[in-house]
Amino acid sequence: MSLAPRKVHIPVEHTTLANGLRLVASPDRSAPFVTVGVYYQIGFRLEPRGRSGFAHLFEHMMFQGSENAGKMEHIRLVNSSGGLLNGTTNYDITNYFESVPSNALERVLWLEADRMRALKVDDENLRNQRDVVKEEVRVNVLNQPYGGFPWLDLPPVAFRNWPNAHNFYGDFADLDAATLVDVQQFFRTYYAPNNAVLLMIGDLDPAEAFGFARRYFEDIPAQPLPPRADVTEPAQTEERHGEVTEKLGPLPAVAIGYTMPERETADWYAAAIVDRVLHGGRAGRVYRKLVLEEQIAVDVDGNADLIDTNGPTQMVTRIFHKPEFTSEGTVAVFDEVIEELQHKGIAQDELEDVKVKFRSDYYSMLEGGMGSYMPRFGLMHYLACFTLFDGDPSRINTILDHFLRVTPDRVQSVAKTYLVQVNRAVLKRRPVGLGGAQ
Amino acid sequence: MMSLGAPAASFLRPKTPPALAPERPWAWPKRTVITLENGLEVVLAESRAFPRISTQLYFRSGNAAVARSAPGLAEMTASVVRTGTLSRPSRRIEEDLRRMGAGLGSSSGADSSVISVSGLAEFSFPILELIADLARNASFPEGEFERERRQRFEEVKIERTTPAFLANERLRHVLFGEHPYAVIAPTEEQVAAFRREQLVEFYREHYVPQGSLLLVVGDFSTEAMLDQVQSVFGSWTAPNPRPPASPAPPRPSGRHIHLVDLPGTVQTHVLVGNLAITRRDRDWYRLTLANSIYGGAFYSRLVLNIREQKGYTYSPGSSVNALRQHGYFTVRAAVRNDVVAATLTEIFYEMDRMRALGVTPDELDSARNYLTGVFSLGIATQNGLLGQLSTVYLDELPEDYLETYRERIRALTADDAIAAARRHFDSANAQIVVVGDRAQIGDQAALFGPVSEYDSRGNVVT
Repeated sequence: MSLAPRKVHIPVEHTTLANGLRLVASPDRSAPFVTVGVYYQIGFRLEPRGRSGFAHLFEHMMFQGSENAGKMEHIRLVNSSGGLLNGTTNYDITNYFESVPSNALERVLWLEADRMRALKVDDENLRNQRDVVKEEVRVNVLNQPYGGFPWLDLPPVAFRNWPNAHNFYGDFADLDAATLVDVQQFFRTYYAPNNAVLLMIGDLDPAEAFGFARRYFEDIPAQPLPPRADVTEPAQTEERHGEVTEKLGPLPAVAIGYTMPERETADWYAAAIVDRVLHGGRAGRVYRKLVLEEQIAVDVDGNADLIDTNGPTQMVTRIFHKPEFTSEGTVAVFDEVIEELQHKGIAQDELEDVKVKFRSDYYSMLEGGMGSYMPRFGLMHYLACFTLFDGDPSRINTILDHFLRVTPDRVQSVAKTYLVQVNRAVLKRRPVGLGGAQ
Repeated sequence: MMSLGAPAASFLRPKTPPALAPERPWAWPKRTVITLENGLEVVLAESRAFPRISTQLYFRSGNAAVARSAPGLAEMTASVVRTGTLSRPSRRIEEDLRRMGAGLGSSSGADSSVISVSGLAEFSFPILELIADLARNASFPEGEFERERRQRFEEVKIERTTPAFLANERLRHVLFGEHPYAVIAPTEEQVAAFRREQLVEFYREHYVPQGSLLLVVGDFSTEAMLDQVQSVFGSWTAPNPRPPASPAPPRPSGRHIHLVDLPGTVQTHVLVGNLAITRRDRDWYRLTLANSIYGGAFYSRLVLNIREQKGYTYSPGSSVNALRQHGYFTVRAAVRNDVVAATLTEIFYEMDRMRALGVTPDELDSARNYLTGVFSLGIATQNGLLGQLSTVYLDELPEDYLETYRERIRALTADDAIAAARRHFDSANAQIVVVGDRAQIGDQAALFGPVSEYDSRGNVVT
């Protein structure tokens, strides 16, 4: 017994200010909150050579004070308005966002405009945040079992072009080398209104929200934007291998990454479905084979960052396997899963089930995302990506149909074309600590 | 100081932040509470922005119920519950879930066990049927049990290399002594000793309708959902569990350092704590306020001090942790090894400062707004609603808790904050856990009191 599916339509209004700042509003008056984000089209892929980790360090500097809101003022004003805030650095974007009761909409726009217009930081702020970032790297990577596995370990093995292949969190020597002049230069180059989109979601009237945005943002001058960095990868002709040591955790682990099709192509949509066929929880083929049936692995997960990347990206599988199996043997069984999909394809009913889950996950992402503590975080995130990468936020309402139209034939052909050894990298994480395998 | 960007000024653009607009009307979504004849309490709330439902079935027994005989048995039971029923083998369960666009979690905390499923609203009835099947007819297949036990065995080994886990484990031991809350996870040996029959016994005794709690939020009409719930869960009967009795936790006197040695680590995990209160205590709102100003928000004294001024740490914070029988207050920071003593100094300075001098009117105002605002954000998502409902109904808080929370927070005063800090930031008797390299941090830790040292397995080191 089940009911007919209800289709979701997200209201989206968008416009562009004279200075090139794109505005997107999506009203939802079901609860008295707004989620606001500013997304800049700059991420760790595009940071200057020799300054690994700079995009992320810079993200911290954006909370250190601006012309009319000094250090901690931004944070104080959001928290004391009843809201939460954060920022993250990604491959191709850096975002700053807050969820607040809807009566604080104008206030958070004032804050975001103030730091887009004029960052105001000094050497002490930079030293302070450099220290904070080092502790961030220690707590998330260096002092954490399997820290950075494989999001930091795999790109240097998988890719050849520095933007895709360097340490995104940053070598400590590079962090130490960063200067206030670098901060100034980076801000001028990338943090311009014509390199950003402002998202406003929730309990708001779009016309009024656009009016606030015009008031606070429109006189921020546009900047000449640099040509986009060349992030293309040379054609890969061989399987790539790497090995790193695991200093804390006892289990051996292996990651396998396949480079994905180009954004918004027919193969790209199908690749998203292939990812879910392989990695969709315990019904996914990889977990079923390696954890449930063969019982080689203790845990398996995987995903492909497709919607929110705009350049070379991989579908990545992580496998934590029992010490009595070798990583080579584990990959060989993983390969059986891939070969089965290549040779036998997928039955229509399995594909339909995967699509039902895909639709459900898409809605869940739009509703919450980020662990749901910021309402509509995922909606904001996707709207930003569709605006910056595709020039069309209304894709939020149409893209799902593209994924749901993927055919069994296309799934099989994508598996045959992309899930091949000359299109992948295999990374082993080998335990060397006291608790590790002998 | 360096100013970046354009100096352009505009009369339209104020130099000070705009005032908050009038607050929009706020109401907690309507909820319906009924108790079925079999004693199952059912709470429904509509949340219709997206065509999904989220549901949780809670049993009021968790790991604390068996901590003395088999630590972690409740968690082990929950993980095997999802692997088979009398009519559905493991693979069928996972495929059924996918076909309903659903995800499943089953787990146990100290006080409860829960089966959670969220999925597409069009499948609400079969989703409820699956939950009921897992709650009533789990079959604990031998092979699945062995597989899950082995996986848990390997996870336990990884936990012992995770600094935050080791810190929490040690603090709970220290604060709770002989009380079952002292144990947060089994040892490898204890996992190896689990038997399938123990799981079945725990399941039979504790997965029962009487006193249990079903929460359903999502895209449905309450009337239709009530019919579905009645039809799926109405016929379920089982005997009532016996509530276990627990000894009182100790009240340690004087600061004591508990050092867990992880040789060679590049950072130290600092965790300071003392026993506090449960959500049912009359001081709960006051302590929530004091904690928010101390270290419970980004804009708080601790974050300003040891992150934004001193750069010792990335994610410091403080929490009030409420379990059903007892609560405790904690302060945490992962810091570089040479500032362990400096960090502890600041943690206690900030505790003592609030105990002695209280809070400013601005801090009070900010914290009240923060707490009421963040509470309000919780009603905008299905997960947020589930979190609020489970807080009220699991802890048996007053029926009007959600409706009156914001008014109660707004009524708090500076006197309330200082009173809570004096009662519940027990600076003089706080227990200090540090997880890191003894060679690098031992001398610093010893400045704060007598030191006991442990290895990562919890053995005392001399």
